[in-house]
Amino acid sequence: MDTKTGAVASKRNGATPLARPGRIRWAPGTTLAMLVVVVLLPVVLPSATLATEILIFAMAALACNLLLGYTGLLSFGQAIFFGAGAYCSALGMLHWQLGLFSALLLALGVGAVLALLVGLLCIRRKGIYFVMLTLALTQMAYFLAYTLSDWTGGDNGLLGVPRPPIALGDTTLVSLASPLAFYGLVAVLFAVIYIMARRITSSPFGSTLLAIRENEARAAALGYDIRLFKIMVFVLSGAITALAGALYAMLLNFAPLSNIELLMSEQILIMTIIGGTGSLFGSLLGAGSIVLLGDILSAIWPRWMLLLGVALIAVVIFMRGGLWGGLTSLLQRARRASSHDKEA
Amino acid sequence: MTNAHAPLLETRRLELAYGAFKAVDGVDLCIRPGTIHTVIGPNGAGKTSLFHCLTGERRPTHGSILLDGRDITRQPAHGRVGLGMARSFQITSLFQELSVHENLRLAAQGVDGWKALNFWQRLDTRKRHIDTADEVLERLNLTERAGIPAGELSHGQQRILEVGMAICARPKLLLLDEPTSGMGIDDIPTMTRLIGELGRDHSILLIEHNMSIVMSISDTITVMNRGRVLVEGTPDSVRNDQRVREAYLGEAA
Ligand SMILES: Nc1ncnc2c1ncn2[C@@H]1O[C@H](COP(=O)(O)OP(=O)(O)OP(=O)(O)O)[C@@H](O)[C@H]1O
Ligand SMILES: [Mg+2]
Repeated sequence: MDTKTGAVASKRNGATPLARPGRIRWAPGTTLAMLVVVVLLPVVLPSATLATEILIFAMAALACNLLLGYTGLLSFGQAIFFGAGAYCSALGMLHWQLGLFSALLLALGVGAVLALLVGLLCIRRKGIYFVMLTLALTQMAYFLAYTLSDWTGGDNGLLGVPRPPIALGDTTLVSLASPLAFYGLVAVLFAVIYIMARRITSSPFGSTLLAIRENEARAAALGYDIRLFKIMVFVLSGAITALAGALYAMLLNFAPLSNIELLMSEQILIMTIIGGTGSLFGSLLGAGSIVLLGDILSAIWPRWMLLLGVALIAVVIFMRGGLWGGLTSLLQRARRASSHDKEA
Repeated sequence: MTNAHAPLLETRRLELAYGAFKAVDGVDLCIRPGTIHTVIGPNGAGKTSLFHCLTGERRPTHGSILLDGRDITRQPAHGRVGLGMARSFQITSLFQELSVHENLRLAAQGVDGWKALNFWQRLDTRKRHIDTADEVLERLNLTERAGIPAGELSHGQQRILEVGMAICARPKLLLLDEPTSGMGIDDIPTMTRLIGELGRDHSILLIEHNMSIVMSISDTITVMNRGRVLVEGTPDSVRNDQRVREAYLGEAA
């Protein structure tokens, strides 16, 4: 099982209850699976660029999952962080000649600060009002980016974004010019973030997020400062999303205005939901399937987004736990069937 | 230091108004340590409103609340837990999809306040909270059901867990709002016994409608009516008080 708090609704996945609930064991299962996927992606897929795109969006979906799946916060604000990460790192590299890691750190910082501000504002309201606030802020961010075309390139996007090498001082250690080298960088960053996120979700902080998702009033009555927790998870999510945005700009050598559009928030949300909320590995599945679907279908049919809608409806209606939920219940059924065979 | 005579919790001219209507109207309450103090009163007397003020769910419009002599009137609800107050809910409020054990563990962890903002430790290294949860499970007779989601417990067991979560914080003062509400007759003795037991090592403020429970376990009873304190005293003196009978009869009429 993905969440090892022992806490999770065993009902949902049809699992048998854990014998010693609340005891968290370090199950390396999905982390291992994630590493295998990360290694195999560029081998299996026709291009390393496609594989890179998958991991970048998996990073964004994972960050979105921390909000939606673990805390129960439906945020349409993710594009703000994604777009800001892309613009700020790109501008930093273009105007201040920032190196690779400084640019990525800048994105992390900008994402965290923006998420702090967005969080402080939106968390004052709950439910649908919270959602509307994140939506409104994304619209504002979009128009701001559109208006500041001297900086962002407006409709044309910000062109000529470099992809600096991994360097120590002035000596280049690894050039990232080749798609596969850049994939390597993104893969390492993704794996690190995944493992950190896994650790965080099974910490006291993470268990509290689940409590907030389940029942905010009770969590507050137990002594948890709900707003503090929500803001912290927002900052975390914003920073990771901005990092993904920065990597995306480096991948494309270009920061399009669409990065900061509401549609980007929707895409990230759709990936998170299709993959499975509350499962980090699900985010990888969700991002992978949507990016691949888009890549294949957009070549044959320009209106492929329509099919995305159909896929979303199908998952929401027939697979409540998303792809990850479907996969786990399939595995369980197989396991049960095989143990049944042995008994017989 | 709490000596036996200093009140554990005190309210001074407490008032909660909804618009022009005063649901709590100048209540002076004094809960002595080590006692079970019950608030009763006819429907609409203001018991729940008083309870909301004490838990921090609502800010009183006037007056003050003191815990161990310290003014906590403006403390938010979550801040009161660390000071030694814990509550249960009149309408069961659990983490339905989390296991029974995890419900209790979270309750034990909550007292740590901001220290629960620990991003890095694994949960099993925080043995204290797990031990507390185990202990309380034992006490509630729910050890067998530790692993199932709280939402799958029977209604009576959910009520028991509801109260159990409040004691995980090891509070000085337990605030219980109608712990038997909605419970079947079969389950009520279990709850009565549990509250009686808890009364041995906690001070309890209880709001309760069931008179047989109230009379059997309370040390002090405060009768409220129309937002004010009508009578206060021992179960015997309250039982025989003419004004109390009138208040309840007035409700029936
Ligand atoms: N949110 C509110 N807004 C306006 N009036 C309210 C509100 N909550 C309660 N009241 C009123 O305040 C009065 C006291 O209500 P309260 O719920 O405190 O009574 P109670 O003693 O708990 O009653 P019961 O025994 O029915 O639970 C009632 O007249 C009620 O209608
Ligand atoms: Mg009431």
